[in-house]
Amino acid sequence: MMQARMAAPAEATPAPVLRIGAVHKRFGALTVLDDCSLNVAEGEIVTLLGPSGCGKTTLLRCIAGFWAPDGGSIQIDGRDMGAVPVNRRPVGVVFQSYALFPHLTVAANIGYGLRMRGTPRAEIARRVARALETVSLSGLDARYPAQLSGGQQQRVAIARVLVLEPRVLLLDEPFNALDAKLRGTMQMELRQLIKRLGMTAIFVTHDQEEALTVSDRVAIMNAGRIEQVAPPEEIFDRPATAYVADFIGNSNFWVARAEGGRVALPDGQAVATDLAGPVRVMVRPHNLRLRAGEAGPWRGEVLHHRSIGPLVEYLVRSHTGELRVLAMRLEHARPLREGSAVTLSVLEPDLCSVFPAP
Amino acid sequence: MRLPGRTAITDALGTGALILMAVLALVILTAPSIIVLMISFDTRAFVSFPPQGFTLRWYAQVFEQSVLVEAMLNSLRVGLTVTLLCILLGVPTAIVCVRGRFRGTTALSIFVLVPHMVPGIVLGVAVLFAGALVGIGPSIWLQSVSITVFVLAVMVRTVMSRLQRLDPALEEAAANLGATPLQSLRTITFPLLMPAILAGAVFTFIEGFDNISVAIFTHGFRDRPLPVELLAMVQTTNTPLVAAVSGVQILLAVIALILVAASVGLDGVND
Amino acid sequence: MTDAALSRPAPLPRPGEALLDKLLSGRGIWPAVPAIVVLVVVAVIPFVMLLSLGFSDIEMSRGAIVSQTFSLAHLTGALADPLYWTTFQRSLSLALSTMLICIVFGYPVAYLYLIGGRWTRRLILILTIAPLLTSGIVRTYAWLVILGGRGVVNMTLMQMGLIDRPLRIVNTHWAVLIGMAQIHLPVMILPLIAVMSRQDRRLEEASANLGASRMGTLRHVILPLSAPGIATGAALVFTLSYTTFVVPQLLGGGNYLNAATMIYEQVVYSLEWSKGSVTALILMVTCLMVLVVIALISNHFTRWTKGRDA
Repeated sequence: MMQARMAAPAEATPAPVLRIGAVHKRFGALTVLDDCSLNVAEGEIVTLLGPSGCGKTTLLRCIAGFWAPDGGSIQIDGRDMGAVPVNRRPVGVVFQSYALFPHLTVAANIGYGLRMRGTPRAEIARRVARALETVSLSGLDARYPAQLSGGQQQRVAIARVLVLEPRVLLLDEPFNALDAKLRGTMQMELRQLIKRLGMTAIFVTHDQEEALTVSDRVAIMNAGRIEQVAPPEEIFDRPATAYVADFIGNSNFWVARAEGGRVALPDGQAVATDLAGPVRVMVRPHNLRLRAGEAGPWRGEVLHHRSIGPLVEYLVRSHTGELRVLAMRLEHARPLREGSAVTLSVLEPDLCSVFPAP
Repeated sequence: MRLPGRTAITDALGTGALILMAVLALVILTAPSIIVLMISFDTRAFVSFPPQGFTLRWYAQVFEQSVLVEAMLNSLRVGLTVTLLCILLGVPTAIVCVRGRFRGTTALSIFVLVPHMVPGIVLGVAVLFAGALVGIGPSIWLQSVSITVFVLAVMVRTVMSRLQRLDPALEEAAANLGATPLQSLRTITFPLLMPAILAGAVFTFIEGFDNISVAIFTHGFRDRPLPVELLAMVQTTNTPLVAAVSGVQILLAVIALILVAASVGLDGVND
Repeated sequence: MTDAALSRPAPLPRPGEALLDKLLSGRGIWPAVPAIVVLVVVAVIPFVMLLSLGFSDIEMSRGAIVSQTFSLAHLTGALADPLYWTTFQRSLSLALSTMLICIVFGYPVAYLYLIGGRWTRRLILILTIAPLLTSGIVRTYAWLVILGGRGVVNMTLMQMGLIDRPLRIVNTHWAVLIGMAQIHLPVMILPLIAVMSRQDRRLEEASANLGASRMGTLRHVILPLSAPGIATGAALVFTLSYTTFVVPQLLGGGNYLNAATMIYEQVVYSLEWSKGSVTALILMVTCLMVLVVIALISNHFTRWTKGRDA
């Protein structure tokens, strides 16, 4: 699209490939999607993250065209998809079960879409060979899906849609069926492949780690709504709502009062906020610091500790409740013993979050 | 606690008794057919046991007697017609019952099942009467159609069972890859349903060939199927000829069994 | 790697195909409509007509019905006729006895399937399914051969010197019973196998682990869990035995009348169609009544299958 040169353009932002606008979906009396909006730029990888029932799979299926939203719009390259049936949408779906056609060979599976479009046979063979190379499965073209490993099946499923060069890749919990050990490597490999091809992709998952590994941005969904869309670090450091804070990583909450644009922290520091009155403060375990002794205003008692690799997680009781504190093991010569008195402080007050009290 | 010795004995006795009864039941199940087969090779011209000698002349006579040959051809025609109709009517119905997205899918599957639950003779009588009321007499067509209605449930149930175990994502994937519903049916659904359709076809053919409860009321005078012909023969003929006809039918059953075992496997029959 | 032609979605279908696609894709009822139409025309409507015939006086001419007037005479006549009562009683007792025999002999076969190895199971399936693929007449004829005057039983007994003259087994109630039981045995065994083979084997292991003997496990675990299979098999066997026409006809002789042969007689020979219709209707109603009783008994023994909201 041509951008008219304006007086002081901030950036020439290209139009998003996928534009989801206020999408609404009901099943009977149950609202499954509630005013969901999301723009995805070309070449971006976005993950819809949330617990089962949050609507992420429903949203994916609406983009693919399997279900029609009751309200709102879905546009790809500026074209409204409302009237476009499933088989004519420029999206490629990788299903959770991979849905490989068991009666067709790997080559026939990958070439299926091309065959449906009437592509000449020689051309199909050429593109299938290239797709197999892209996913590193050359030589397996004559095998049947049942003869492949889980990882190989996934790659065939990906090749099958890649060969049609869709505008958007939709992946529905693609790593669910794999062993935990294999998952980590596959996630990185898949992200690299998608980036190398310059494709736009939307993942759906309930696995936090997967979302944080694979995505450029993460969209946290809750009960049909998108609560926050942001890059992984921002989601983690600056959660937009208490739900997001609680969903991603561990958090410590307590109630306090906001006055004059700030909330006082128990250690004497303060956090700036726009809210007033009763609020909930959230601090991440790695943002708290423990020192032996009673040298500061925020006192506590160690209830329990456990080692996790290079880290130690303490459970500390203080007047604000029970707190989790994550510290490097090397910070203290020995882990602080249970029952010992400690002083707490916040490392970075800016990374504390303030939410309205419920 | 019971003494270990006692339960061991009761276990052995109980299991032994059960196995004995089971074997007895299986023998009783099989023996009659084997006896008939043995008699069909008897050289003597009357039916008696044990048979003497070995000859194929009764089988030859089966294919020489025009009445019998015609009856077999009639049964063949009925069997094939029933099978064809059941495939054309039953497969789409099964697909609708499993993949349909409207409220009446369960009601539909029950509706299709009902004629099979009704005793065959009642259906036969009902069709005969209805035909008479509108002026359609018994004929090979009436016979075929009434047996089709009777046995459609078997085809529908067999195909439904297989379809239910098929990942619905397969059809969605086909659509996503660009296939129209017709293409998806042709390239994905039907090939994967083939074993079940084949098994259903075998059963419906056999029923069309063997059925007597419905056929006896709806067959035309000139189109007597083999079972009806056989019924008349049994009451009049005393030679091993009848045994030979039975032998032919037993052979047919064995072929059918092999076909079914090859398509959905023997365990698949039970679903 | 970009190919403009490839990024274009598939070409639009032609008009005829579009209509077909619409019918097929809507996940609606259209593909099943032909079947529904056929079923209604060939099953539902005739059945309604059958009902109406039972309640009317008809005149027939040359195989077609010419006139029809409402009348309860046939129904009342049948209910008052002692012949009807004895016939149906005989049918009922025959069917119930067959059902019981099949349960008694069928269950061990299913149990053998459960405890047997792969080849035992295959053999059982072959021996059970094969008879179902042959005509009822073939199987009945076999019994004629065995039980007849010069049949297997008589010849063996005479050769052993136990009797002088052949026993008259055919044309008795017993012959019919034996024939029915053997012929319908597979119908009892297959549902039983279906239910029992789906049972979790670990339940038996748990039972053994808790100290039960094999017989104890059978009595307390396997048998109750297979109740649905017994009920299904029993219902099927009962229905078939109650309505089978061939076996009584051949093995019972000309004088043996049960409901099914009576219907045949009335419809095909004496052409008393209204009477035949009434008999058929009574047959169906009584059959349904027995099935309801079986269902109630079975429900009692399968209380445990009911979910929380029952």
